Amino acid sequence: MSTKNKSYLTGREIRAIAKENAKIVKRLEAYKNRKAEESEFLTQMQDESNILEIDNLHTYFFTEQGVVKAVNGVSYSVPKNAVVGVVGESGCGKSVTSMSVMRLIQGPAGQIVDGAIRFKSHEYKRDEKGEPVKDENGNYEMEDKTYDIAKMPISEIHRIRGKQIAMIFQEPMTSLNPVFTIGEQLDEVTFIHIPDATKEMAKEKSYEMLRLVGIIPENVYDRFPHELSGGMRQRVMIAMALAAEPRLIIADEPTTALDVTIQAQILDLLQDIKNKIDGSILLITHDLGVIAEMADYVVVMYAGKVIEQGTVYEIFQNPMHPYTIGLQKSKPTMSLDDGTELYNIPGNVPNAVNMPAHCYFKERCAKCTAKCSGDYPGMIQVSPTHFVACHLYSEEDSSNG
Amino acid sequence: MAEEILNTPQYDDAALEKEYREKRKEQIEEDMKKPFDPDCVLEVRHLRKCFPMKKTITGKVTKELVAVDDISFKLKAGETLGIVGESGCGKTTSGRAILKLHEPSGGQIIFNGEDITHYNSSQMRALRKEMQIIFQDPYSSLPPRSTVGGILSEPVKVHKIVPKNQIKDYVLELMDKCGLRDYYYERYPHEFSGGQRQRICIARALSVNPKLVICDEPVSALDVSIQAQIINLLKKLQRERNLAYVFISHDLSVVKFISDKIGVMYLGAMMEFGTKEDIFRNPLHPYTKALFSAVPNPDPTAKTKRIKLEGDIPSPANPPKGCRFHTRCPYAKEICKHIPPQYKEYEEGHFAACHLLDGE
Repeated sequence: MSTKNKSYLTGREIRAIAKENAKIVKRLEAYKNRKAEESEFLTQMQDESNILEIDNLHTYFFTEQGVVKAVNGVSYSVPKNAVVGVVGESGCGKSVTSMSVMRLIQGPAGQIVDGAIRFKSHEYKRDEKGEPVKDENGNYEMEDKTYDIAKMPISEIHRIRGKQIAMIFQEPMTSLNPVFTIGEQLDEVTFIHIPDATKEMAKEKSYEMLRLVGIIPENVYDRFPHELSGGMRQRVMIAMALAAEPRLIIADEPTTALDVTIQAQILDLLQDIKNKIDGSILLITHDLGVIAEMADYVVVMYAGKVIEQGTVYEIFQNPMHPYTIGLQKSKPTMSLDDGTELYNIPGNVPNAVNMPAHCYFKERCAKCTAKCSGDYPGMIQVSPTHFVACHLYSEEDSSNG
Repeated sequence: MAEEILNTPQYDDAALEKEYREKRKEQIEEDMKKPFDPDCVLEVRHLRKCFPMKKTITGKVTKELVAVDDISFKLKAGETLGIVGESGCGKTTSGRAILKLHEPSGGQIIFNGEDITHYNSSQMRALRKEMQIIFQDPYSSLPPRSTVGGILSEPVKVHKIVPKNQIKDYVLELMDKCGLRDYYYERYPHEFSGGQRQRICIARALSVNPKLVICDEPVSALDVSIQAQIINLLKKLQRERNLAYVFISHDLSVVKFISDKIGVMYLGAMMEFGTKEDIFRNPLHPYTKALFSAVPNPDPTAKTKRIKLEGDIPSPANPPKGCRFHTRCPYAKEICKHIPPQYKEYEEGHFAACHLLDGE
């Protein structure tokens, strides 16, 4: 049985893996908790029009079954004032990528192993003691800095998390604290992120944010989360994310737990807010419909890698990777004439431990060629914005030059 | 101002409600006496399910939550009825009440020409092999301590579907039909992914050769590419075995794909019912229209105009007076706030409950 089925490990094998993992994790944890000068994690953006650049990111989970390469060399960037949608099935690493950006990966098992996350921050200028500096008029001075989030020690991450990058989580039911009122939780954001905030100022700010998300503040401010419906809670979450005026909002499946009519309300709200604030949205979802309505750029992920990326028109009108094509065809549409049989991608996502060396989609792909058994395909540029990782297009590209 | 008040029709809510109740009671009694339709596998008439919310010390129920209020439909062999609606609209409760997993509080359930509404549990046990259910969550609906073979052969043993010495062959053949490899027979549920587990659940439901299968959100917990596999499997098995499905889902596009008839529910009541073509080509009820327009369209060029629904779904414990939908309906009139609309047939086989359709 054990020879037939590789998913069983002997006790000795598990101990050997655990020992090996402990060594690597210890080194990475020490790196995460180190004290570092600011100059160590300052960097330069490759393209100044971007707000976030993820470059060859590797986030692994060191488990007793082996190393799970949840994010295995992901690169994409978020331009200013744009909505980037990340789409993929469960376990493809889309959430882990966003968690890596927020540095919320649960240690010690989960670790960022390699890669860079460059983020351009716009923040208060601080003196050597870390106090914000005022100019002659008494206003706080602002400055632009570019951080490499992957290199930042965890003690410095508060400069960005919550203030510069805010996150809206999937579960509005569980992401609010049940023992504090909505008002207290919203005010806290202002207290933490705005220097010398007063109570009145915080309340005013919270009221303003609640109005922005379409809630009458007086009705909600003194209530507890359990008194609100799912859609209202998600609005409060969005208000909370906006309270610190972030430059980037990461929305991780913001509508998955909601009903369609409430989902439509929240999507409209996000669209509306994007126009009102000067920021970008990174939208993570498995719903292609949501992506098509919201996003400007789309990143398609599969088994920890980006397999295709481009503008929303390129991805939906000219999908190139067989997985992207399959994904779009396997979702029944709202039009009446789509035949008797749905297109389906056979098989399952491969096991996250022991990924093969060849293309991860090979076993499920209908257009597989001999070349697919070779190395993992590199990213091929189809148009200035459209990239695909598939051997089917590599020859055409090389003949073009 | 005074003129305005004088000109608007005044409604005496209590009297109207009394009148409405009496009228409905008469109609229900009349409908219940009608003969059963012999062509139908399942006929549901005015099904009602209430849950007690408050009881007095003597056990008398003083407040009820009406989870399902008056739904009716007919289903023939080989047909699929899709039930759509948002969370809390009573779609799962109606599915369970049809199988008598919840005891219905009113109405009739006619299965295969028999009125099973008041059957006791031993009478139901004999019928269980005719009607089966597939649950939403394949992770919690399989016993973790039995092998796949054990799970699939137990119902065959209990209902004596085949002689004892043929059980294994029968189960293996069934597994093959459901796309499960034969060496899975010895394995345990935790070794499988969600899609495979849902296949096991389907195989278990079909192991007793049922006529009716209630599919309670069978694909909601699965990824898109796996969803398509399971939907195709359900369709294939329906063709082979002439099964009748009641397919409950909140995903309109999935329901549209698999169903022949569709019922749209809101707060426990059926808002619209008809064939797939009727509902999608010509939706009558404003709720159906809003529901369709809320579904995100996976085509970036199509910028559809949404019918916006304001606010949240009211609590089913305290549904609004009059038409249930009037608090969110963009076209609500004064009458909608006071009188519940009648559930009427507007085209052949196309029912809806809305005052606007009466053109008053």
